[in-house]
Amino acid sequence: MHMTTLKSFKTRGRIVFGALLLGGLASRLWAAEPATSAAAANANAVVADSRATNAAPAAVKPHLTGAELYSIHCNRCHAERYPTERTAAQWKTIMLHMQVRANLPGKQARLILQYLQENSGR
Amino acid sequence: MNQNLKTGRWLLGPGIAFGALLLTSPTAATAEVSDAAFNALKEAVQKLSEQVQSLTQTNQLVQQQHEKDVQKLQELQAKLAETQQTAADADQKSTAAAQAAAQAAAQPAPRSPIDEATVNHNFQILGDAEFQYVNADHQNGSFVQGDFAPIFLYRGGDNILFEAGFDTTIANNAPNGGGETTTFNLSFAQLDYVVNDYLTFCAGEMLLPLGTYSERGAGWLNKIPDDPLAVDALLPGSGVGAQLRGAVPLGETGKLFNYSVFCVNGPGSSDGTGNAGSLDLGGNVGRRSDGALANLHNNPGGGGRFAVFLPFYKPRYDLELGVSAEASEWDNAGSHLWTAGVLDASLHLGPNLEIKGEYIATRFGSDDLGIINQNGWWVQAGYKLAGLNVELPGLNNLELLGRYDSLHDGLGTTTDRYTIGAVYYVTTALLLEGDYEFIRSTDPTQPSNQLLLQISYGF
Repeated sequence: MHMTTLKSFKTRGRIVFGALLLGGLASRLWAAEPATSAAAANANAVVADSRATNAAPAAVKPHLTGAELYSIHCNRCHAERYPTERTAAQWKTIMLHMQVRANLPGKQARLILQYLQENSGR
Repeated sequence: MNQNLKTGRWLLGPGIAFGALLLTSPTAATAEVSDAAFNALKEAVQKLSEQVQSLTQTNQLVQQQHEKDVQKLQELQAKLAETQQTAADADQKSTAAAQAAAQAAAQPAPRSPIDEATVNHNFQILGDAEFQYVNADHQNGSFVQGDFAPIFLYRGGDNILFEAGFDTTIANNAPNGGGETTTFNLSFAQLDYVVNDYLTFCAGEMLLPLGTYSERGAGWLNKIPDDPLAVDALLPGSGVGAQLRGAVPLGETGKLFNYSVFCVNGPGSSDGTGNAGSLDLGGNVGRRSDGALANLHNNPGGGGRFAVFLPFYKPRYDLELGVSAEASEWDNAGSHLWTAGVLDASLHLGPNLEIKGEYIATRFGSDDLGIINQNGWWVQAGYKLAGLNVELPGLNNLELLGRYDSLHDGLGTTTDRYTIGAVYYVTTALLLEGDYEFIRSTDPTQPSNQLLLQISYGF
């Protein structure tokens, strides 16, 4: 087999293998139900979210709270920004930006905004 | 016996004499009372009785009144005590208020709350700033870059947002070059209109959803001082056009389906020709490279990204998988198509471990070299040492990082780069970053290894 074709075949093979692996993992995770915890990170601890959370997973609840959604979404791309960093009104503008940038459903964005505003302290 | 009889005879005689005397002595004479006197006395007694009765009744009334007076007095005493307490409290409050007023007078006046509708609340500046030092082999170490990248947000209502990002960069010229360059670029400028909970319309110069790095990994969000090779070399970070995007929840457990579909001008040609070397990924503004006021190409390009976000087990355990693509004519004549496809994945296993990466492939036609196939990929892992639960000073603020990235430019150059690094979180927004890169490239201008140090701040 020609070297370029062989190299291309190997590359495509790696891609297909990787896609199959990720697809299988995704299907397992699709079926897995996340256990939710009500606790969000301590608002005044630096990198407090880095502490290992060894609490047993709680039972699945029908709706996620603003604190839980904040815990899920608000440190995927950057370290958590604490609610006390902004005023309630400032969070409204910032959350609109984050809803678009992070592609969040409107309801979840509103719940996160409510959590931030209630805990902003100003 | 004879003596006793003699005593008795002697007593008998006086006794008989005393008895006779009693019988004959006269008794007290009975006074006679007339009817009138009796009646008068009776009447007097009755009057006295009535007076006594009256006095008794009066006394009872006085007694009752006395009891009422005592009760009233007690009530008045209680009210007096209450009034005195109230006066004391008022006096204390007055004193405290006076002290507070005195303290406040010594401090700046507090700001009054700003109304929601004022411009100040609707306008926000976010962004990041970086300052970098590089020491590459065969070169002198130097401070090479300062970057200030503000993002301006203006909220025009509950559903409307104007946002624009700029990059102001001062950088040294390329090796063997002289002087410095200062650049001011518009990274993006777009209008966002939230139509409903699941759909947002965007228009303008937009960060393109090809993979996730452009939207969610650049600037201070990148924990390693430089970008992945393939992202910078193969993908346009932004495009002028319009977009529909949104997310749909899949149940109530946090799973999401994300989508973005867009129509943009697409890449252009730096000189209008279709030669491979003229491909300009950033040339998509809408004016042709020859200066003609015309559509950039015959037809605009388009693309999209579809992804699923799968939280599992508990918060901060999640997997995101996405696939994205774009296709666009790129030369002035519209003779050649440029296409790109990206697979992206991101995995979080708790608050301390993150693994993410992308595979990027592009393909475009050219006048001189025919079909050009390019590809590259990167995978990055980070582990926060706080997960070790070791109480050492500073350890909990440290994150170890590693990245491998690869680029095949389709024109004969291949580069592989191995990066190890670390981030120290002074705060959650102020990062001290450092990494060492081992570079293996067929490009002779590339260094073999280099050290990068960076201060990065997100605001």
